[in-house]
Amino acid sequence: MADVEVASALTPVEPPASKSRSSWRSIGVIVVLVGVVVVLLSQGLLSSLNYFETVDQALGQRTSLGTKVIRLEGVVEPGTISRTNSGASFTLTGSGTHHVFVTAQGSPPQLFQANIPVVVVGHFVSSTSLRFAGTQIMVKHSSSYIAAHPNRVKAPNGTSR
Amino acid sequence: MIKLSQRLLGPVTLLLLGLTFWLGLWITPPDAVQGNLVRLLYVHPPIAWVALYVSFGTASIASCLYLWKRTRSEVMDRIAHCSMEVSVVFIALTLITGSIWGRPTWGVWWAWDARLTSTAILGVFALAYLALRRANDDPTLRARRGAVFAILTAINVPIIHFSVQWWKTLHQGASVLTSNGTLNVHGSMLWTMLIGFVGFTLLFFWLLRYRYRLEVKRDLKVADTVVEALALRQREGV
Repeated sequence: MADVEVASALTPVEPPASKSRSSWRSIGVIVVLVGVVVVLLSQGLLSSLNYFETVDQALGQRTSLGTKVIRLEGVVEPGTISRTNSGASFTLTGSGTHHVFVTAQGSPPQLFQANIPVVVVGHFVSSTSLRFAGTQIMVKHSSSYIAAHPNRVKAPNGTSR
Repeated sequence: MIKLSQRLLGPVTLLLLGLTFWLGLWITPPDAVQGNLVRLLYVHPPIAWVALYVSFGTASIASCLYLWKRTRSEVMDRIAHCSMEVSVVFIALTLITGSIWGRPTWGVWWAWDARLTSTAILGVFALAYLALRRANDDPTLRARRGAVFAILTAINVPIIHFSVQWWKTLHQGASVLTSNGTLNVHGSMLWTMLIGFVGFTLLFFWLLRYRYRLEVKRDLKVADTVVEALALRQREGV
């Protein structure tokens, strides 16, 4: 047993890897890295640094957009939400008097409600129409966090009033 | 003093994280819009803070100090390496907790917007750093290349931070580190989040300390193995 250990300890070991071998491996890592980053960029940033077009911007480019699929952002106008079997319809407003009527397929997110900014994936029905056919609704919530009932006080028995 | 703070690091970290979870789950009120979904606020931003600024910052500073001849040492290289390893964990947690929050709030698990994509790229950079270190057998070459790479990839951190200001993103803007210095979080929700920031920052340094000690032990074991092998050969009269 001891002979085996001595024999293995005396077995000639490989010389340390050369500098050029390490360099080739490093180049390999960099090449793979560049490939992965390019794939991620092509999925995300390169297609559009801006994730959506606002209602104002979209209406300003109506003719050039045509029926191209875009992401449209605006605020859901109160009193216009109508839930349907296949989804929901509502009016999106931009600044001022710009409005777009949206009919979206699929169930809206949990936070979907009036007065909330949303991003709708879809396209204008025609190059002159103000009707937008959506396939997905995303809620763009704000960075403000406000307590639901800030004025409530706790009673001595522990209940809220 | 240093030994005492090292000894207290673990218990204080656990105390602050426990406090964050207790306040976040039972004491703080629901949000006016998000309801109980807001409770992820006490976990996701603090984890992202550690992933982007604390861990990548530590790795970059240690890398700079390694490249500077006057402060060059194995210690700096080890700190950079260990920080980057812990960073991978925190970046993964950032993306996971963000997705869990994104599904019910946005309606999607993932969106290819500037903030999310650039954060994913940072994760790839951190993994590439670790791969680059494994690709180099020579310790000096490994440390130097790693340090240069860590500094270069840190350029992505300000891009991630300002992405929500520079471009239109689905991800909301900053709630604490805002451009005009305002705080967009209400009362006890803010305090709970700030305790979370401190707790997760300490967790990073706690993990870094243990990872560093492990690395030192590993290096010592390698050195002992070499000494033992030489002694064995000498005894055999080689």
